[in-house]
Amino acid sequence: MSAALLMCLYALPVAWCLPGPLARLTMPGTSARLGLTAWLTAEASVLASLVVALHSLISAAVAGWSVLAEAVCRSVAGRACSPLMYRSAMFEVPLAAAAAGGALTAAALAWQYGRWLQRSRERTRAHAEAALMTGRTLSAVSGAVVLDAPELAAYCVPGRPPAIVLTSGAVAVLDGAQLAAVIAHEKAHLAGGHHLLIAITRGLAAAFRAVPLFTRGAAEMARLTEMCADDTAARASGRNVLVSALLAMGTGTATPHFALAATAGSLAARVQRLLEPPPRAQQARCWLTLIAVTLLIAGTSAALIWFADALAAHALELLS
Amino acid sequence: MRGFGDLESVIMQMVWDQGRPVTVRELFDQLSQDRVIAYTTVMSTMDNLHRKGWLTRVKEGKAYRYTATASREEYSARLMREALAGGGDTEAVLSHFVAEIGGEESEVLRNVVRRLASRRPE
Repeated sequence: MSAALLMCLYALPVAWCLPGPLARLTMPGTSARLGLTAWLTAEASVLASLVVALHSLISAAVAGWSVLAEAVCRSVAGRACSPLMYRSAMFEVPLAAAAAGGALTAAALAWQYGRWLQRSRERTRAHAEAALMTGRTLSAVSGAVVLDAPELAAYCVPGRPPAIVLTSGAVAVLDGAQLAAVIAHEKAHLAGGHHLLIAITRGLAAAFRAVPLFTRGAAEMARLTEMCADDTAARASGRNVLVSALLAMGTGTATPHFALAATAGSLAARVQRLLEPPPRAQQARCWLTLIAVTLLIAGTSAALIWFADALAAHALELLS
Repeated sequence: MRGFGDLESVIMQMVWDQGRPVTVRELFDQLSQDRVIAYTTVMSTMDNLHRKGWLTRVKEGKAYRYTATASREEYSARLMREALAGGGDTEAVLSHFVAEIGGEESEVLRNVVRRLASRRPE
């Protein structure tokens, strides 16, 4: 019981107060990879503490079940309970209700999450298959298929096999070196399994709509995976080529009204970070801070989970 | 290169390029000009495509005549609609090279370019 409270006392501030400062830290993308790790660690630690809280709540309710059951039996049979038993039963009723409510909520969320993941995987695979079927392979664009469409778009779709898709509009505005940079960027997404990170965090954001850690986390994950892929593409094709490709695709696009709030400023940030990386000392400071934050989150949650486990075991011992 | 799926794609491209109902025999004759392939492979691939809903067929004598369910342009347009349907709303997980950007960001971007250009004149 107290173990459940303890875990909630940890999870709530982390879920509500951490996202702001953490986003400020990972925003510039000084180390996209460390940023990804920090967000994933924070999300995992909150999920783990919620699971531990629920577990200790359920085991406390189960352990107190005999008292409750006996009190009910006695009242039905007309035999009086001791005041102590009454008091205990009064306590067990809300506990059991809380445990049942928590378990039901968790089951509903898990089901919703699973369905979201499955649907998203089906849609994604179908898209990859259709793209490979419809797109043309051009010798100038190896490793990608080209769709006849005026829009400027380049993207990758995981699937079996995965697809890298460019529109003929995009092929028209990019030269050979830029095309290679775009394809290197998309290949980095596929090789890095970025779609998994995106699917997992987006699904969590869909399940926990009101929790800033998860909503913000999903948006940051999208930004940071782009930056990771930029890093790989810049190493393969050169920073200037990559930046020119980004600008060609970014400024050449017609600007539809559904501009994304979540990614506002992300392209400018990507260009800026490629062209003007911060000085070494500042980079090192950012790395160290991110590593320290990640270790702190992981360490605190692990210690708390261990402590909560010990607390729960102790409480059960007292009962028996 | 892409294994079995590759042949499906090649056959679809051929059906689209023909622009009229085709038989397995016709496509097999074309295909065997530049690769070693068994007639039954072509037949089963086209059967698969029919099962997956890419091709429709009508019986003509002993053989089937196959047509594409929708034109290449229709499929392209459908894919584009899904790919460009505002970021988080689409259920398919696609990673865009550059997300759709609004006028405001375009402006920011141009400013960045201008600032960079003025700082580094080369």
